[in-house]
Amino acid sequence: MSAFLSNKVFSNISKFSREVKPLVSLRGITKKFPGVVALDNVSLDIYPGEILALLGENGAGKSTLVKILYGLYTPDKGEVIVYGEKTKILSPRHAVSKGIVLVPQTPHLIDSLSVLENLIIGLREYGVFARVDLIEDRVREIALSIGIELDPRKPVATLSYTQKQLVSIIRALLLKARVLLVDEATTLLPSREKEKFYTLFRRFTEGGGSVVLITHKVVEALRVADRIAVLKSGRLVGVIDRDRARVEDVRKLMFGKTVTNNLQVRLKRTEHIDGGKRVLEVMGLWVSRWFGDYVVRGVSLSVRRGEVVGIAGIAGNGQEELVQAIVGLVKPVRGSIRLLGVDVTGKGVELTRKLGLGYIPDIPMRYGVSIDNTIEENIAALLVRGKIIKWRRVNEFTSKLIREYDVKAPHPRVPVKVLSGGNLMKVLVSRELAIARSLLVAHNPTRALDEVSARLVRRMIREKAVGEGVGVLLVSEDLDEVLELSDRILVINSGRIVGVFDANRVERERIEELMVA
Amino acid sequence: MIEELIGIVPVFATYYLVALGHGFFEKSGVLNLAIDGLFVLGATIAFALAAYTLNPWIGVIGSSIVCSLFGVFIAYVATKLPVSHGALGLSLMFLGYGLSLVVGIPVSNYVYAKALNPSTYTVPATDTVLVVLLASSILIGVVLHYVLDRTKLGAMIKASGEDPHVAEALGVDVVRTRVIAGVIGYALIGLGSAYFTLVWRSGWDPKIYLLGHGWIAFAISLAAGRQPILTMLTASLFAGLVRHQYVVQVALGLSTEIAKMLPFIVALASMTLFYVTPFKRKMASPKSLGKPYYREERTV
Amino acid sequence: MVYLVVLRRTKPLPYASILVPVISILLGVLLSSIILYLLASIPPLALFNLIVRSFTSPTVLKDTLILTLIGLSLVIAFKASIWNIGAEGQFHMGMLVATWIALFTPIASIPVLAKITCILAGAVAGALWAILAGVLRAYVGLDEVPVTLMLNYVAYYVLDVLVYGPWRGRFTYGYIRTDEIPENLWLTLIPGTTAHVEVLATVLIVGLAIWFMFKYTIVGLRLRILGSNPEFLRASGVNVKHMVVLALGLSGAIAGMVGALYLLGDTHRVSYPVEAQTAGYGYLGILVAWLSMLDVRGLPLAAYVVSSLRVTGITMQIAGLGGTAIVFLFMGSVLLTYTVAKVFSEYTIVIRR
Repeated sequence: MSAFLSNKVFSNISKFSREVKPLVSLRGITKKFPGVVALDNVSLDIYPGEILALLGENGAGKSTLVKILYGLYTPDKGEVIVYGEKTKILSPRHAVSKGIVLVPQTPHLIDSLSVLENLIIGLREYGVFARVDLIEDRVREIALSIGIELDPRKPVATLSYTQKQLVSIIRALLLKARVLLVDEATTLLPSREKEKFYTLFRRFTEGGGSVVLITHKVVEALRVADRIAVLKSGRLVGVIDRDRARVEDVRKLMFGKTVTNNLQVRLKRTEHIDGGKRVLEVMGLWVSRWFGDYVVRGVSLSVRRGEVVGIAGIAGNGQEELVQAIVGLVKPVRGSIRLLGVDVTGKGVELTRKLGLGYIPDIPMRYGVSIDNTIEENIAALLVRGKIIKWRRVNEFTSKLIREYDVKAPHPRVPVKVLSGGNLMKVLVSRELAIARSLLVAHNPTRALDEVSARLVRRMIREKAVGEGVGVLLVSEDLDEVLELSDRILVINSGRIVGVFDANRVERERIEELMVA
Repeated sequence: MIEELIGIVPVFATYYLVALGHGFFEKSGVLNLAIDGLFVLGATIAFALAAYTLNPWIGVIGSSIVCSLFGVFIAYVATKLPVSHGALGLSLMFLGYGLSLVVGIPVSNYVYAKALNPSTYTVPATDTVLVVLLASSILIGVVLHYVLDRTKLGAMIKASGEDPHVAEALGVDVVRTRVIAGVIGYALIGLGSAYFTLVWRSGWDPKIYLLGHGWIAFAISLAAGRQPILTMLTASLFAGLVRHQYVVQVALGLSTEIAKMLPFIVALASMTLFYVTPFKRKMASPKSLGKPYYREERTV
Repeated sequence: MVYLVVLRRTKPLPYASILVPVISILLGVLLSSIILYLLASIPPLALFNLIVRSFTSPTVLKDTLILTLIGLSLVIAFKASIWNIGAEGQFHMGMLVATWIALFTPIASIPVLAKITCILAGAVAGALWAILAGVLRAYVGLDEVPVTLMLNYVAYYVLDVLVYGPWRGRFTYGYIRTDEIPENLWLTLIPGTTAHVEVLATVLIVGLAIWFMFKYTIVGLRLRILGSNPEFLRASGVNVKHMVVLALGLSGAIAGMVGALYLLGDTHRVSYPVEAQTAGYGYLGILVAWLSMLDVRGLPLAAYVVSSLRVTGITMQIAGLGGTAIVFLFMGSVLLTYTVAKVFSEYTIVIRR
């Protein structure tokens, strides 16, 4: 860990000076959403030549701030000053014309269009009837200058995640960006690729531009950025120069006093797992995304009664498809899945649900809830087994869950869409925990939750396994979560299981290595 | 044989242009259920203007202009406000039927009272005219193909249809793009519908709202995956079928009603075929077609 | 600079379920009257006068009942976000089968059973016709709107073929139409109106059943979830394809039932060409369903308003305009204003500076 910290890649950082005028200034920005104050009177300067890290927990307001700078949201109060001029950024187009460009975590690119098409539609200097291939030479040139090879005539769908992120960088350069908003864009990249991006960012700032790096990774921010701004619950709680910043201080700013070092807190385990019956058995599973393109490649795994099996890996290595195949949402090409000894391969969700499967999906709004229906209805949809719904019982049950999980909702009959992301997730998690009888498949179960709720959910998952003997398959991008909860850890990479670890003899570094290999 | 083929031209031009315009507009992500109503309206306006001015070309231009105004309206409302594209389209379909009857019936009476011969206000179906009609329709198709496939506008339209949110983030003005697609698309629908009354039918029928030619064009476009060049093929198929309904009818020993039913059955069958074959994957509908566009918040 | 921002409402607009339909009807009628004044020089006041009188017309009750039923049919589909625009065709298929039973089978002579058989057979026919579109939507992925719409034309022509050919009657005075169905099949008039007892009974039974289904059964809940998030429905272990087919089947069944009822109660025969005779109930039902805000309890009122507008259209033979034109104009304008007005029940527009 410490070696990692002292590994200063960029020793010759050009010091930005306070005499320099800021490129962009935020003054007293406030933004409210139903039920939450996303940003509360935030003032911040962004200077030329600096990498400014914007740190904060999930829900601290980082994304809102970025969206305001990129014209996707308008602030309720406060002003944005760009190059000394008070400006209302009305749309991404407007932001781009001011030299502010966003590089998001999920690439903002259209898969079915070619790279060139994706790039030209943002370029104002070309008329609507301009030929797309007019920009080909320029794109190739920029690609070459940042050291990547790609055929810009190919559809974006054929590119890897890293390549897509690089296309976003090419776009920024093509648009002559002066302020680059990097919203968790490097978080999911393997470390070697990350370095490439950091070098690019440094080169960019040396040319007088500035980079706003939005992240929740403290260590990374300290290593790369010149200054660190910390947001907590919508308020700017500190701006620190890199030289003076220590990991512990920044952590404290981010999380407050409630959470000190919660990593590696071990929860109670089920005893004698080895003797337990196998709840889930997956044998040689292959899943394809489109024809021929396999994303899960021969995965075999098993989960016993009362056991939590964690799958660690970087997003996009086949986890989503593996989970969907087990739940029954997609048909695998080859291999078999047995739940409680019953062959459920490709037989759909009806069967797996009947066998007592609980499922916490990665995309809750899509597979987990119906936002136009009420909390009560979202619960009843899975809870009621007969033909007639007894609303009184559903209501009692729902009220109980709302109390237990501290869901912020006026009553069980409000539509789910009025809930905040975290509360929505709690409704979903509490329901799935309540109905799981044999296996719980949890994919990033705490992603949208604040630290306190996340711990509650982890404890509940544990209790479910220990108390009721339910098997749990935990798939998470958060390695700490996997380490904390699992009895056994599998590492997935490029659709293959590349390592199996016992939670008692775990080597974190080895897992990280396998994740990015 | 040549005459047979020449006879198809007015039918082909009508279907092809309407299907082209419809497909072009839908590429931008707006579900176009107003098509049949506005086809009928366009045909009626062309007839009305031509009959009053005794100049068919004024009818053709007028129909295009009126229809493109509707195109602007649909594109603007469907993109600016998070409305249901389906409801918006159907409401304009009914409005189109209603308006065309209100406009058409008095003109029809006027034509009858003045004993106007159709030849005084329709396009004469000489060989030259038909060849020009055919060539210009094909040329329009080729131009649209080029625009969609090779130009920035095409990329903007496709981007708006695939994912307006991402398109916006990439710097596309989705409203403006869809309005452009609406203007061009509906101008072509207006053009095609004008050919319906002024070349193909040479007159106006008060039961025009019951014919469903707009829906046939809808199916022609869908069965070709909204691709301008491929639409040429499906449009020819339907044009042949409809034009030679009588021949088909006699050949197969069908009654008139069955022959009238045939285009719809073929339309349903060809859409089904398109969907069950790999074509569907290759030429899938725009991903955001018909989805209300709401940017979480935005400026009006 | 001042600009407007569209925001999602955190709390629904109070009284939206009443305000939205009322405002859209008023604005829609206003829009139609402007169009009629500009294009056909019909004085708006005369038009309003007629509309007001239509609300108390003795013929309104009949249409109200029929449109309530069609509205019920469409509410089932619309709640599930299945846009069944084919009630018109399902209606005619129901009519077709009822005609066949009434004219060509021995069942027709059995008193009570004959009526019930006709109505139920109509329901089955309507359901099957709709299921055709349901299967294409569920298993092939074809959008149900164009399919149900085109099936309307096919249904018209199928009935035309029969009426023109094998079913043409002997006692038709030169008209192309079927014979009258036996009198024992005719429905019973509610005294003082043109409406029928059996239709009223059907409205009550079907209405209650559907209200109960949506409120208290798991199928009803699933249909509603199908309307808002089919992916979630699938992930919760429900066969979404079956639900799509079911939604269309139930919807078509009611529309088909209405077709049979209309034959037994009103026309007593089918005339050629059917597409020119139709009252367009299948299309008017779309308007009724939407104006009810997809609430079963609001349907009768919505049906009453739409029926009155329809009666207005029919009594308007001024300026050589057929009733159809006016009915279409009303439908189009009210639907348009409704579509836009509905946005404001879920979103609000805020002025920022």
